Amino acid sequence: MNNTSRFLLAGLAAGSALLAGCATTAGVQNPSGVPVTEMRPDERGFVAGTGIESQDLVSVTDRMARSILSIPQIARAQVPPSVVLDPVVNNTRFPINKDIFLTRIRTQLNSKAMGQVSFLDREMMKTLERERELKRSGQVTASADPNVVEFGGADYFLTGKLDGMTTRTSQGTSDYVLYSFRLTDARTSRIVWEDVAEIKKQGLEDAAYR
Amino acid sequence: MSGGTVVAKAVAKADPGAHASGDARATRSVRAGAFAGSLLTTLALFAGCVSAPPPDLRSGAGTRGPTAMGVAANGGTTAADRRVPTISERERVLFDYRAGATSLRLGEFEDAKARFDDAIVRIGGIITNDADAKKARSLFSAESTKTFIGEPYERVMAYYYRGILYWRDGQPDNARACFRSGQVIDSDPEQKNYDADYVLLDYLDGLASVKLEADGSDAFARAQSRIGDNAALPPYDPAANVLVFAEYGYGPRKYAGGEHGQQLRFYVDDSPTRSARLVLDNGERLVPLPAYDDLGFQATTRGGRVMDHILGNKAVFKTSADVAGDVALAGAVIANDQARRREQRGKDGDDANIAAVGLGLLGIIGKIASAATETQADTRQWDNLPQRLSFAALKLPPGEHRGRLEFLDREGNVLERRTQPVTISVAAGDRDTVVFLSELKR
Repeated sequence: MNNTSRFLLAGLAAGSALLAGCATTAGVQNPSGVPVTEMRPDERGFVAGTGIESQDLVSVTDRMARSILSIPQIARAQVPPSVVLDPVVNNTRFPINKDIFLTRIRTQLNSKAMGQVSFLDREMMKTLERERELKRSGQVTASADPNVVEFGGADYFLTGKLDGMTTRTSQGTSDYVLYSFRLTDARTSRIVWEDVAEIKKQGLEDAAYR
Repeated sequence: MSGGTVVAKAVAKADPGAHASGDARATRSVRAGAFAGSLLTTLALFAGCVSAPPPDLRSGAGTRGPTAMGVAANGGTTAADRRVPTISERERVLFDYRAGATSLRLGEFEDAKARFDDAIVRIGGIITNDADAKKARSLFSAESTKTFIGEPYERVMAYYYRGILYWRDGQPDNARACFRSGQVIDSDPEQKNYDADYVLLDYLDGLASVKLEADGSDAFARAQSRIGDNAALPPYDPAANVLVFAEYGYGPRKYAGGEHGQQLRFYVDDSPTRSARLVLDNGERLVPLPAYDDLGFQATTRGGRVMDHILGNKAVFKTSADVAGDVALAGAVIANDQARRREQRGKDGDDANIAAVGLGLLGIIGKIASAATETQADTRQWDNLPQRLSFAALKLPPGEHRGRLEFLDREGNVLERRTQPVTISVAAGDRDTVVFLSELKR
């Protein structure tokens, strides 16, 4: 081996040593993370989950609206039953706009039920009562006798509950959310309809954040 | 360079008498050429190392992302734009954290909600395939090039503060959701003994459940187990209508440790304020506000991060590249010396000269690579966090209640200069009155 070869070999060795350390993520699994994937609730995932998003809201409320319309108390009612919405209870770890679920179910039912069901606006009660008092006192005009009680009473209460379960390990985070809604007879307190939807999500974030 | 050598050889062949002087000139020419080549290479490499200065968070200069409203149609900025700093996406969460905490302390609750909501949108998801994160993992970019979301104790506090604000708005279930998310963020640390170990998050989870007429006993038991046998948590009182959240001391500070600054470390300047108490209605009511959680403890007990492993690898590369550079440069010196000796003996030293140039270049590349490797841990931090968190639930009749907030030292003595006047306005109705008290001004 001549001198040139020896020197070049030494240079090659030094260069190799230099490049050998380039792999900064050596020994780190999934350095770029694993994208969040939606799975069937009965499908076994490699980790457990993440939050409530708009697509969940759409799919869950669509399903609930279809389900409510098919029950005999609504489908075969002689007079459209009056329904009051009661706020959803959030038992998950995700803060949500609680009104949005019932608002979408109501709008879906109003647009698809063709008058099969009517909703009572209890959010407006204070405003409505004030208006009635103004009519009664003669401060504003009235098209009907304001002393006659015309505010509708509820035949049913529609409400829901979101329950969640979370798992977090070094392999990622998984969240299972159970969306349950029910229609309760205001007179008998019987639950006349109930349905659930389940969504499970899981993912692993980028190694830079682990 | 090699051209110079060829010319020198041609001269030597034509004039044997001029061999010695011609060879010496050729050697000088080779050295000069090698030096020039190395210099050019070095300059070219250094030119590539030039990077833009980091964006100035305060001035907003050189940043991208959301800007103030009213950008002029021609792409210029209005006077209002120039006054309101723009925040880079990378620093946005950090800005939200700081501004949110300040707004909360100043009683600007709508602004605080907006800040924490904005932060939670970003920290609540799972970040994958992010270009900045990928860059942060690469050799020649610092960890701070990634979008900031903060360490777990910082993310937990964003949820904690947002939970307080939800409760204030009469949404204890959403508040509970925030406290639960906080506890999930603190779960699965490297040191398993400290898994999801915030006392207050579990305690408040249970209290919210009790307020919602659900069972809070499991959460209470978890909270009690985390605080240990030394202290007993107050049992839940569903009739309590005033919730007092208090905080005192200054939170942990981050700094970069290790030979190359590759280790993220925390410094906690233990506050003299060890507890607090609320004195109301001319001293008729004394509400203890002991410290249930310590952010310094939370910051320092999670153990290592995966990113620490990556930074450790970067540090190894930095050291290896530096050593390889030293070896190559030493080899270049030896080769050069060898060439000189051979030439002095009248032998051909060209091969050794070429090797010297090659090794010299490798050495320089190694040194530059080492210098350019960014090993520094990300020390951007939410710097207006408190050290200790406290809470009390009490039952007060509607109306105004005046008093003072006293901070106590280790021995239970009142730190007089820190005492703050307090007025609590309790509203009639079902909704809880939420009071937020902080030793920190902003």
